[in-house]
Amino acid sequence: MNEENFYQFSTVTVLALLVFFYGGTYLLTLLIKKKKENTDAFMVSNHQIGFGLGAASMTATWIWAASFYGAATSGYTYGISGPLHYGLWGALMILFIYPFGRRFRKLAPNAHTLGELIHARHGSSSQLILASSNILGSIISLMVNFTASGALVSVLSPLSFQAGVVIAGVGVLCYTLWSGFRASVLTDFAQLMAMMAVAILIIPAVMFALGGPQTLADGMSFLTPEQANLFSMDAILNQGAPFFVAVLAYAIGNQTISQRLFAVREDHIKPTFITATIGYGAIVIGLGMIGLMALMTGMEPINGDMNNLIPQMVSMYLSPVFIALFFILVIGSLSSTADSDLSAMSAIVMADVYGKNIAKNKPDPTKMLLIGRLTMIVATLIGVILASFSMDILIMLVFVGALWGAIVFPVIASCFWDRVTNTAFTSAVIAGLVMFCVARFELQPLVGVVGGLFELLAAVGGGVVLGLMAFGFCGRRVGLVFGALCAIALAYFSLGFLRDYTVLLASLMAYGVSTIVCIAISLMSSSKFDFSQIDQKVINYDPAKPANQS
Amino acid sequence: MQTFILALYVLIWPLISLAIFAVIGIATVKDIRVAKREKRELV
Repeated sequence: MNEENFYQFSTVTVLALLVFFYGGTYLLTLLIKKKKENTDAFMVSNHQIGFGLGAASMTATWIWAASFYGAATSGYTYGISGPLHYGLWGALMILFIYPFGRRFRKLAPNAHTLGELIHARHGSSSQLILASSNILGSIISLMVNFTASGALVSVLSPLSFQAGVVIAGVGVLCYTLWSGFRASVLTDFAQLMAMMAVAILIIPAVMFALGGPQTLADGMSFLTPEQANLFSMDAILNQGAPFFVAVLAYAIGNQTISQRLFAVREDHIKPTFITATIGYGAIVIGLGMIGLMALMTGMEPINGDMNNLIPQMVSMYLSPVFIALFFILVIGSLSSTADSDLSAMSAIVMADVYGKNIAKNKPDPTKMLLIGRLTMIVATLIGVILASFSMDILIMLVFVGALWGAIVFPVIASCFWDRVTNTAFTSAVIAGLVMFCVARFELQPLVGVVGGLFELLAAVGGGVVLGLMAFGFCGRRVGLVFGALCAIALAYFSLGFLRDYTVLLASLMAYGVSTIVCIAISLMSSSKFDFSQIDQKVINYDPAKPANQS
Repeated sequence: MQTFILALYVLIWPLISLAIFAVIGIATVKDIRVAKREKRELV
């Protein structure tokens, strides 16, 4: 890293900024800290979160450090449409989860994790598939966020990468450990307000520091015809479509989202999701514009590393005060996601592992809380170690992405269709995962009949993604017809073509194969599930019922 | 015209963020009042 190109804070200044941020956050949690927390509050705040805090927490959790760097990279690489293809799809996914979320909440109003609902529906094997995918995903997320902290601290100050990683790990753990999810939600609010305020200031500040709107118009000459096109196919196929497919899986498979879904008061779910959708989109697309502006000024990222784009732009064009604000913006975004991951993992181990499988629905609340806090400590240690040694997690990342893609249809179908069985769920996930690996790692050459067959399965997957979205908002009949039409259209267009885009092909195959297997095995069974059983099996763990929820 | 559209394309996002900032801020103040009135904790 060529640090001469970045503004450098002194060690004292950067430590003061970190103490200000983490110290302030910790002090904030003292407002809610109770000597004796209860387990339902620790996991989902007794399902009593209001609209403002819920929307803030959902938005802050969905935005992580990679959101800024990814959106800016997309803007720099794909031009005008780049930030949209990063931020818009991520934002819409929050909205698309809403109808399914309402169903999850209706089936299991007392749930703490989606795994509990699946346990009540199918039993342990399906639940543990979901729980393990959630834990792996959150570990990866923790590592990525701690890595971002290390990179930022090492670029903008004399402190080492490892120092940045450890400070973030310890800082996040300190304010989350005692009150769990309650601390996460409260601090998410403060962190989001800070992030929004900084984003609102930094984006126009960069634009006017560059020379204003005229500089942007002049900068159009730096763009290729494809980069200047708002409907660039290059951007859609390489950025938009894979991201669109991945984030649907992320939203269904990630406990940080379902935890907030179960925590928000039921009558506030709709405005919470809509506000979070718009908030996420505006902040992420807006910061992506910094990458576009970098492209329009002909700037080259230092060492060719796209992650340097935003720090470089801020260092080159803004005053030290703005650089300090940018520093807080990134630390805030990564901390809000990291504390959500810690809360998510603790809830999974408390409810899915201990509550359902060890204590068999009769847990000791004190022991449960202890398990939750120990989980946070262990998870932080793992995240810090993986980040400190910059371990290669590509295989883990690919595996989790595939797992999440394969569980989307079985999870949703299990909540709407009474014929889905545990065998159908488990077989579908395993089949989707195996076929993903075959396509992703090209274990079979993607040529001839095999290539065509895989493209057809991927077309089914595309139909499933689009059909599920139509189903969520317009009902079963529209979803089925729209999904089938989309699958046919995609089959026509993707034959002989999609094999060149292996990541997209494999991701869609995970959806397609898991759907086909899930439907086929479910149809072989004649048993029908009574959905009212779920509410009876998914319970609050503390003896006292929470206050009225109306 | 192109200059105006480009400026709008860049600046519309911080403006939307500002609106959401206000919505969330106001809603949270209401949350705090409701929690106080119902004599329960905010989170």
